[in-house]
Amino acid sequence: MKQFITILTFMTVANISMAQNGTATTTKTTFSRETTVSINIQANQAIVWSLLTNASDFPRWNSTIVSIDGNIALGEKIQLKSTLDTTRTFKLKVKSFEKESSLSWGDGKGDRTYTITPNGTGGVTFTMTEKIGGLMFPMYAKYIPSFDESFEQFAADLKKEAETIHQTK
Amino acid sequence: MQTTQLTNEFLQHKGQLKSFLLRLTASVEDAEDIMQDTYIKAAEKIESFRAESSLKTWIFTIAANLAKDNLRAKRRWTEDVTDQGKAAALTDKNFFAEAMQIRMTSPQGAFEIKEHITFCFTCIAKSLPLEQQICILLKEVYEFKVNEITEIVNTTEAMVKYYLHTGRAKMIQIFEGSCALINKEGICHQCTELNGIFNPKQNHQEELNKIEMAKQANNPDKEHLFDLRMQIVQGIDPFESPSAELQLHHYAHNSRVMENFLKKNEV
Repeated sequence: MKQFITILTFMTVANISMAQNGTATTTKTTFSRETTVSINIQANQAIVWSLLTNASDFPRWNSTIVSIDGNIALGEKIQLKSTLDTTRTFKLKVKSFEKESSLSWGDGKGDRTYTITPNGTGGVTFTMTEKIGGLMFPMYAKYIPSFDESFEQFAADLKKEAETIHQTK
Repeated sequence: MQTTQLTNEFLQHKGQLKSFLLRLTASVEDAEDIMQDTYIKAAEKIESFRAESSLKTWIFTIAANLAKDNLRAKRRWTEDVTDQGKAAALTDKNFFAEAMQIRMTSPQGAFEIKEHITFCFTCIAKSLPLEQQICILLKEVYEFKVNEITEIVNTTEAMVKYYLHTGRAKMIQIFEGSCALINKEGICHQCTELNGIFNPKQNHQEELNKIEMAKQANNPDKEHLFDLRMQIVQGIDPFESPSAELQLHHYAHNSRVMENFLKKNEV
């Protein structure tokens, strides 16, 4: 039993560190698809939060975003263009907004959530999850590209920019 | 601390403070008013000064707060302020007549390219969010340390670092996109064009060769080019320079242009 618990603990720790290395994972069901990426960032929460809530500044540091118009604040509507499909403009609503902690936006088809959690080493763990789905999901699922690569790039860009700012003297 | 000691120190930092306020507001009147109010407020509160920071930092804190009060209700300028200023000057008969009068009669009416570079920096910095503009000026021009800026703008060190980094990145992006001095494709030649008007006999290329930033224009390190730009700004007191009156006239012009533009485009 003791051995089993040790193995289980090891697996859990390994899972956590895998999950925070910036590799995206996607889980699919008949009516939904969920992509998550998580990464450790050696920077203050406020810096990561500021980067995530300054709409017009996104394209400067985030290579997956073409533009975000609007004000990222609770209840506000934003218009987002992503490199995944530059011909489309996503009209999204900011649905939750907990300062320096979590943020989500979305439309009728899905929601994207960002969380920033202190990791106890002076940095934070950043997690981004997007869940899309609904009763009609099976009809259009095959037309939606994979988010994995874009999510990994987003997390890597955020880490690089936040850590650069953190090191400013 | 005694009021006389405050007065002495205030006078010592007066030049830097006034230039900081002009660069923040782009208005001689506002800069002078805020200067006076800063002294009055400092004298009133001198007994609360605990010397936890330098008196200079404390004075700048008061001035920055007053400037924020003055500027918060006003909308930020646009990135193309110098283009708009130029377009308006070309259709305003009085602009060049007034400028030429200053050029010919004022002891501070000279035109120098490097002075125009500082003018251009000040105007474009007014397109940044206010906190970013204040932090950039304090760090890059007046050489305050991050912990001192944290106190002056009353925020966390993390936020000061964020404002500095993003403000600087934005300014580099704007200059890279428009300034012909550092980018052959740049569309703004205003400093050399004005040099041709105010100093017709001068070879502008010779003048540019005296400016390190222009000499290093091909350097791919944009951060370094921005540092060189900041060295130029640091070296010029906008009230004491040989072309102060001419530049102050240009500030007043651009202020009017922006005021009209922002009013017309009020949301």
